[in-house]
Formats: sequence, C-alpha cells, structure tokens
Amino acid sequence: MYKYSEKDKSIIESRTKQFKNQVQRRLNGQLSEEEFKPLRLMNGLYLQLHAYMLRVAIPYGELSSSQLRKLAFIAEKFDRGYGHFTTRQNIQFNWPKLPDVPDILHELSKVEMHAIQTSGNCIRNISSDHLAGITIDEIEDPRPWCEIIRQWSTFHPEFSFLPRKFKIAVIGSKKDRAAMLVHDIGLRLIKKDKEIGFEVFVGGGQGRTPIIAKKIKNFLQKKDLLNYLEAILNTYNQEGRRDNIYKARIKILVKELGIEKFKLLVDENFKKLSDKNLEIDKVSIDKIFSFFTLPELKPNSHKVQIHKNKEYNEWVTQNTLSHKVSGYSIVHISLKSANHPPGDISSQQMMALSKISEDFSFSEIRVTHEQNLILPHVENKNIYKLWIELKKLSLATPNIGLISDTICCPGMDYCALATARSIPISQKISNHFKSFSDQKILGDLKIKISGCINACGHHHVGNIGILGLDRNGQEFYQITLGGSAKEDASIGEIVGPSFPESKLIDAINTILNTYKKNKKKKTEDFLSVFRRVGIKEFKKDLYDNT
Amino acid sequence: MIILNKRHEKENEYKKINDRDFLDRKFFDGAILNLAQWVEIKKEFKNKKVKIGIEFSSNECSSSNESSMSEISLIQIKFETFKDGRPFTFARNLRKKYGYKGEIRATGHILPDQYIFLIRCGFDSVEIAESDKDIWIEFLNMDNGLYYQP
Repeated sequence: MYKYSEKDKSIIESRTKQFKNQVQRRLNGQLSEEEFKPLRLMNGLYLQLHAYMLRVAIPYGELSSSQLRKLAFIAEKFDRGYGHFTTRQNIQFNWPKLPDVPDILHELSKVEMHAIQTSGNCIRNISSDHLAGITIDEIEDPRPWCEIIRQWSTFHPEFSFLPRKFKIAVIGSKKDRAAMLVHDIGLRLIKKDKEIGFEVFVGGGQGRTPIIAKKIKNFLQKKDLLNYLEAILNTYNQEGRRDNIYKARIKILVKELGIEKFKLLVDENFKKLSDKNLEIDKVSIDKIFSFFTLPELKPNSHKVQIHKNKEYNEWVTQNTLSHKVSGYSIVHISLKSANHPPGDISSQQMMALSKISEDFSFSEIRVTHEQNLILPHVENKNIYKLWIELKKLSLATPNIGLISDTICCPGMDYCALATARSIPISQKISNHFKSFSDQKILGDLKIKISGCINACGHHHVGNIGILGLDRNGQEFYQITLGGSAKEDASIGEIVGPSFPESKLIDAINTILNTYKKNKKKKTEDFLSVFRRVGIKEFKKDLYDNT
Repeated sequence: MIILNKRHEKENEYKKINDRDFLDRKFFDGAILNLAQWVEIKKEFKNKKVKIGIEFSSNECSSSNESSMSEISLIQIKFETFKDGRPFTFARNLRKKYGYKGEIRATGHILPDQYIFLIRCGFDSVEIAESDKDIWIEFLNMDNGLYYQP
C-alpha cells in the first residue's frame, strides 16, 4: 500500500489547518454560506437534507486495517455509529457537526487519510479496479498510476475551480470493473509492440445526460500521461460551459464540439503547454510502483476447503475468486444484506473487520465501486474459519453479482437533491429475492437504483435500472433495461411508463419472466438475452396485458 | 482598495480610463481599458509609448482573447465570481503559451483562500479591500511551499 511521504504529510496537515481557519470564519460569520460552500466542498463537506455529510477519500479503494479502525472510531465518536461506502470507493458519514469537522480531519490525518477531492468542482478522488494487482487478467497494476494522478491532481492550482466535478478512473485489464467508460476521463493500460501505455477515453458520464466515453487517444506513452491530462483539463476549464450547471460536465463539451474537434484543441494544448518537469521518468515510476507490491504470499496447492454446510458452499461459490497467487483467494464481503441499506456498515462491523483483515488478509481491505468490500489475500486453508467470523458479523451474505447486490444512492432518506426514496426499494428487492437458489437461476444481474436524475445510483448502466421520480407528490419509478458499466458499456433504454412503488416488484418479476422465457441456454445472462431479443419483448409483456 | 503583491502593499499605478478620455483618445500612462475599448483602438495604438492595461472580465477569459498581449503592461482580470476558474487557465496560458511578461492582477470577487493558486498560475498581484490585507497575508503564510505540481 502507498505510504505517505513527509511531503504528503505536510500538505495534509497544512490543509487541515486551513480548514480549521475556514470553519472558524464561517462560525464567526466572516464567511457567507455561499463563500464557505466551495471551501467546505474542497474538504468533502456537504450540506444534506438533514445535516452536514462528510465524504472521506479512499484513494482507489484501498484501506489498511488501521485506517478502517479509525473510520470505525469516527463513526462512533462523531457520527451515529455507521458509515456508508459510495460508488466511487469512498466512505461518507451522514451526521457530523460542523464544529467537529476539523477534529475529524485531524483524526483522519493521523492514519494518512483526508476528505479532499471528494466533492466540489475539482478533479475527484481517482477510482480503479478493485482487483488491481491481484487478478491474473491484468496488463499492469493501475494503482501506481492512480497514485501518480492523485498527487498531480491534489490542490492543482489551475484546476480547482472547474466548470463541474471531474472524475477519472484507471484500469489495467481488458475487463472493466470500475465503470471506466462513464467517467470524465477513463484510462486503460494497454500493450502495444511490447510497450505499455494508455488508451484514453473522454466525456463519459451519467446524470441527466448519460454518455459513454469516446476514445481520444489510441496509445499514450506513460511519460506523457500528466501533460496529456493537463491538456484535456486546460481545454475543458476554458471551453466548458458555465452558464448551466446541467451542461457543465466535459461530456457536454465533447458532445457539442464533436470528439474530432475536441481532440484538435487538446492536441494543440498538449503541443504548446507540455512541460518537461511533468514528464514522468522511470525512476519516479519505479518508486511509486515499489509501494504496490504484494505482501509475502507463499504459493501453495491448498484448494478452498469444502464443507458440508450448504450456506458456506453458496458463499464460497458466490463471494470468492481465485487470487493470482495459487493457494490464495480474493474474498468479497457483501454490504447488501436484506435488512441494511446498501453500502452501510456499522462501527462495530468496521472495528471487527479491521481485526479480521489483520488475521486473514495482511491487514488489507478494499472498497468496490459496487459498494462492497474485499479481503484481497486470504489463504485458501483459512476460508472456512473466515466465513464463520464474517457470519457472526452478518457480513457473509452470498450475493455478489446477483440480483440483490444492488447499487443504490442514499435517495430521499438523506439527499437534498433526491426526488424519491431509493434505499427502501433496494431493501424490497433484497427481501423479495432472498433465496440463493432463486437468485442463482437469474444469474449475473445488476440492478442499480437512483433517487433522482443525477444518477448517483448508476441506474443508466444497470442491466435493470430504476429511477425514482416525483409525480405530483407521489413517488414513481421509471425502469430502464440493457445498461452496462463494463467493457461493453451501454446506456439502458426506458422500457415505458413508470410504476408506483406498490407495483414495482411485480414489474421486475414480469421483466425477469420475459428474460427466463427467452433464455436459450442456462448460462445466457440477462444482458445477453436483452441484447438479442430487444426491448420490444419486454415492453409487450410489461404493458400489453394491463 | 489596495494592491497586494505577494506580502507587500504596492502603489496602484493604474486607473480605469473614463469614457470621455477614451473618446478623446487621451491615453495617459497607466490607463486601464476594458476589452471592448482595446479591440476598438488596437490598430491605432501601435507604437504609442504609453503604459497601458486591459481589464478582462472572467467571462472574457477564453482562448480567443489570449494572443498578442505583449505591448500591454498590465492584464487585470475581474472575477465575476470566485467560482469561475477560467482566469487560472487564462493566466497560465498567457505565461506559458504566449510568454507574457507583464503584470497579471486579479480583482473582483476573489477569496484569500485562492491566493496561492493565483500566484502559482502566474498572477502577480491582487486588488483587495484594505481591511482584508491581514487575512490574505495569513493565507500566504500558511503556504508551506510544498506542491505536487512543478
């Protein structure tokens, strides 16, 4: 894992001090809320429906056991005993009090954490593949690149007041597990004639105008990465729209100019502005890579233990994956049990999990963009023992990738922007499709739920997407079908008129029946069937008989 | 209002030109023109040996207004709102793309919290209320000089 240098430490400390000053000025009335807003947003502090919300950065989703313990402590001492993992691998606390926030930031800085780049119109925390560095299908580990970009983008003097927020994801495999194609910039490590570099995508995003990113560069040399990112950001900062918040993301600029014209502007800036000092040399690259080595794993021939326990076997099938080192597994911890809001975790669970990660996974934990956790290196011979421990904590729900593993935004239960509730919908789905065998029949299936058009619950890219709307004071839910956030990314199509909450589960059942009926073989998943038969079949079954 | 150059207050050598003087083409040393005025007299101004400044609104900080500023001794950028980040790129481009050597000054709605960013993007000075001087300097003093960017 990355360890802070003295420079990182000083930068974070000075930022914490600055923020203390800003909070004081706000409390004294020297700063208006309007002036304080962008400053608090630079420190991850939002004002929500009922209270402030603090979003803490977890760069590329990697946590150490001591960091998780600190998060547990903060949830307990300053919040209401829980935290919520987000779709960009961060964690948010929903009830901090403004005067406490400088103390929280101080506590975080003790474990090399902070809340910068988690909000505001800046370059946000960089996200990545949760299997980075441990999966066999990887060209190169993307995490060091995320760290290089994190450093370059932190308090960037030129790019801290962009037209809108700016999200970057980096992946190192053909497979996209980070929703890279719906980011403002997506980077994929690729190999060309023995040289590794980046394929660059730009202008993806969700919200009210969902767009899949366009490729802007087939191959970017590693040394040019930061200069090229600067060229894109420089173009966006100057040309991006500022007259309308809904048209301010880079996706709209790219769409309005067209990718070819946009590329010309970027290339011109790249030529004129490239700075030798921003080129990354091999020594610096190697230095960053040295932080991301595997712990001392001992390859062995142990297979995952078999037990007679059915529940255990289901969990092993669904929640574990092979590690690239033989004898080890990657274990998913689902935060989607039927009775809890997706992504929520209590301080007791965090505390216990911190210890579990020390006992079973070299003190490492990861956060996935699908709002689950991972223990990255678990010895196969310890899997059963681990399951027992996780089960005691209600953290052994066997549903990774199944219908009840929903992505869901906080919705109207917390969020000031929401037009409908989303958490109760996800809980209804989890309760309705509780049985493991029923879920298995439905196979890989991603339901994603947003409580408003801003799409924080990624509904556009759900195989089944659910969008909560307000219709004359009543909550209605619009369904989209056929979205995907993977390497074959696509935006879902609206199936038809929306449903009141009372009819939503029936509608989902009808959709699933259409899928089952059209499935040609057992292994054909929902998305493949949808793409083969088209939306008409689903529409017909959903609306023609009513 | 005072002019702050890093930690030091300095005399303001510039003053906005009034409409009458502009109409009479009375360009005194240290006159600040707005962009529209500058565009209007640009051609006739060539080779006049007068120290002149131009004020850009942050809305005017587009790439099309960046070039050929070399004969201008002050570029003053008026932030309509501190949230508008275009002047940061504008200033940086003036310096890096066009090698602009004159003074770049920020005025309008700016916050002391932005002081270091302004300086790092190529601004030399800020125009602020005299009563805010201490807090601007305080923010500059909080800067430990450590940055990730060159």
